[in-house]
Amino acid sequence: MSTAHMRNPDLMAPLVVKTIGQRSLVVGVIFSVIAVAGAFAQPAVFFRGYLLSFMAWLGVALGSMAVLMLRHMTGGGWGMVIRRIMGAAMRTLPFMALLFVPICLFGLPKLYVWARPLESITDKHLREHLQEITRSYLSVNGFILRAVIYFAIWNALSFFLTKWSREQDQPPARDHSARFRALAGPGLILYGFTISFAAIDWVMSLDPSWISTIYGLLVLAGQVLSAICFAVVVERILVRYKPMSEMLKPDYVHDHGKLMLTFVMVWAYFEFSQWLIIWAGNLPEEITWYMRRLNGGWGYIGLFLVVFHFAVPFVMLLSRPFKRDVTRLVWLAIWLMVMRYLDIFWNIEPNFSNTLTVTWADVVVPVAMGGLWLAYFFRNLGSMPLLPAYDLDAKEVLEPAHE
Amino acid sequence: MDERSEQAGGKQAPVIEPGYTFGSVTDKISAIVLTRPTSTSWFIGFGAFFLVTMMLLYAIGYLLVRGTGIWGINIPIGWGFAIVNFVWWIGIGHAGTLISAILLLLRQSWRNSINRFAEAMTLFAVASAGIFPLIHMGRPWLAYWMFPYPSTMGIWPQFRSPLVWDVFAVSTYFTVSLLFWFIGLIPDLATLRDRSENRWARIIYGILAMGWRGSARHWFRYETAYLLLAGLATPLVLSVHTVVSFDFAVGIVPGWHTTIFPPYFVAGAIYSGFAMVLMLAIPIRKIYALEDFITERHLENSAKVMLATGLIVAYGYIIEGFMGWYSGNRYDAFTLWNRLHGPYAFFYYMLIACNIVIPQVLWIRKLRTKPVALFAVSGVILVGMWLERFIIVVVSLQRDFLNSSWGMYYPTRWDWMTYVGTIGMFLAAMFLFVRILPMISIFEMRTLLPEAEVKE
Repeated sequence: MSTAHMRNPDLMAPLVVKTIGQRSLVVGVIFSVIAVAGAFAQPAVFFRGYLLSFMAWLGVALGSMAVLMLRHMTGGGWGMVIRRIMGAAMRTLPFMALLFVPICLFGLPKLYVWARPLESITDKHLREHLQEITRSYLSVNGFILRAVIYFAIWNALSFFLTKWSREQDQPPARDHSARFRALAGPGLILYGFTISFAAIDWVMSLDPSWISTIYGLLVLAGQVLSAICFAVVVERILVRYKPMSEMLKPDYVHDHGKLMLTFVMVWAYFEFSQWLIIWAGNLPEEITWYMRRLNGGWGYIGLFLVVFHFAVPFVMLLSRPFKRDVTRLVWLAIWLMVMRYLDIFWNIEPNFSNTLTVTWADVVVPVAMGGLWLAYFFRNLGSMPLLPAYDLDAKEVLEPAHE
Repeated sequence: MDERSEQAGGKQAPVIEPGYTFGSVTDKISAIVLTRPTSTSWFIGFGAFFLVTMMLLYAIGYLLVRGTGIWGINIPIGWGFAIVNFVWWIGIGHAGTLISAILLLLRQSWRNSINRFAEAMTLFAVASAGIFPLIHMGRPWLAYWMFPYPSTMGIWPQFRSPLVWDVFAVSTYFTVSLLFWFIGLIPDLATLRDRSENRWARIIYGILAMGWRGSARHWFRYETAYLLLAGLATPLVLSVHTVVSFDFAVGIVPGWHTTIFPPYFVAGAIYSGFAMVLMLAIPIRKIYALEDFITERHLENSAKVMLATGLIVAYGYIIEGFMGWYSGNRYDAFTLWNRLHGPYAFFYYMLIACNIVIPQVLWIRKLRTKPVALFAVSGVILVGMWLERFIIVVVSLQRDFLNSSWGMYYPTRWDWMTYVGTIGMFLAAMFLFVRILPMISIFEMRTLLPEAEVKE
């Protein structure tokens, strides 16, 4: 085994990870103080920003888990080299579960029409509809119970994926690929269903009279895209130092760029399909969702997303040299993460305001949550080697590049 | 994503059995066309399917004389078997391009032994599909009205209608698939030209080979062209069935108007396409003793693709059912009720059994490499996917908003003759194909041999 002489300390993340983590924590704490102060002043506004930033950061954590499981299904060096980055992002899921508690405790009536007393609803049709649906599906208890189930499943998957991966840090060399595959196959199915229903519960039900059957897949595609972009950003930071500078080959970066391209296209495909079908059908219960999002200034955001979440990144990602150069690709990755945030913003905020409005919470809360999340992420990243040296596939990554 | 490293580490069956050389691969595949005597069973099989094709021509001929009234369609069910079969065949036609183009771009070299006949299958399936909308028009001789040509009559297609997009999507798909298939054949046609003893065969293969000499420059241009075509064909795999799904989804009929349709139709298409590939590959590898080239690895990988796409289809059913209930829309809820308890409920349960329940046996690894079991499961999936289109087309139209416009649909013998006829035509064409063209890509198989590995 040629990896036997690789000592684990050689594969640990560089010290810079700790520095970034500490700085993120400082930013996170400062903004959290502002956010909590704001929460007392304007709780309704606070929770809008809170849900928005929760969905954005959950996307990175869950998407990383999905990409990790995809890697276990397909194999390949592209996934091996970012495996521990995605693992560290995935292990923030307990923190995400904790962050969901304030929504359950204080946020429900502020965010969701269906969680308010029915008498307070003036629209007769909506009240009739809610009378039925709050009894069967959209009840407060059901909402919390389902959230518990989703987080239990996600954390269980994360637990086993981490446990087996950690075993591969120590000799002897083990081949866990069959075991990983046996978990990742059903795991991906579970992820597909849980995220779909979570998307219905947490975002789609903001407008309880609107449905779209593709919505779960849209959220799923967005999460996977966020995760790949995040991995590219982190690999760019790490590639300046050992060991990532020796592991990351242009071929792998190329594969990450291809995945970005694929999911930019998948997102656009789902988004376009949803829009075309609803526009052509023009039914009052569906088109209202788009009427809100295309009028009152929101339409500019929608158009901006078409151009800068799809068209421009798509054209840039067609270039082969661009996809192979991580120092250039990283800028698009950061940009796409901003676009993911904007897309979630465009999905959530128009429910609360007829005209385009940006509140303090839309900026402060994502930064606060992001600072804390990143601090946790970088702590996770520093706690395990960047490569499971005793995985049989690790050899390929440790070999010097052909080029 | 590198196939070779995976082969080295895993215990999976190889993509080509050991012991072959460049020469023996070429001998083995070209012999099927050039030297092997045509067996009696080939003549019997081809003859039988040719007769079924004649039945198709008879059914179409009678249709042209009498009009679409001979079919079971009526108002409200204006789209009967013709559209069901059209969508079914188009779906089957998806596997070819997926295998040739997408798996090529993903560097999945196991595709090399099944891409050729999967592409041929695609062409024949799309040809079978194309018949249906054409004859469904009632006046097929006016089909050219679908194209936007400068007409003195001032007739212009309705560009907002997905039925018009279909014309473009399907004809583009057929053209690109044909080009892709033919370009892939050129080096092999040259091999057949050089090896053929028969003078006429030499001339015909020679013309088709377009002067291929196999020089380095030829290969360089060939590889570039092939890769570019693969890039062009990839979006087509998605676009064709997406447009087919729009045919339904942009209407507001309950059971048709739902946003999940595009990805769900594409997944269903690949699902049935791979089922058809397996149903053809399993007997062919047995009859022509090609087990060394189409190995258990191919069967298993195809089974995995079916399992994955089948689960996406299942996801579609579940989300659609859930939303019908969650939305509180009484028409959507009724559509669901009508599927479960209406006059066609039996077919809906059959559909669930064929498409979702039975294919779950593919989780068992042993079954994924058992040809007989895979053949049976593929057959079940093809039936299931046909039933799915039947449920979508007929059961949705059968009972929509107004009770006064409800109806029933019973296919007539002409419907059945046309449907079975296209299956006969498809299989007769496959018989001809395996007899006169190399059904496995000779030169791409050679790249899988250890001799072909070049040290970088």
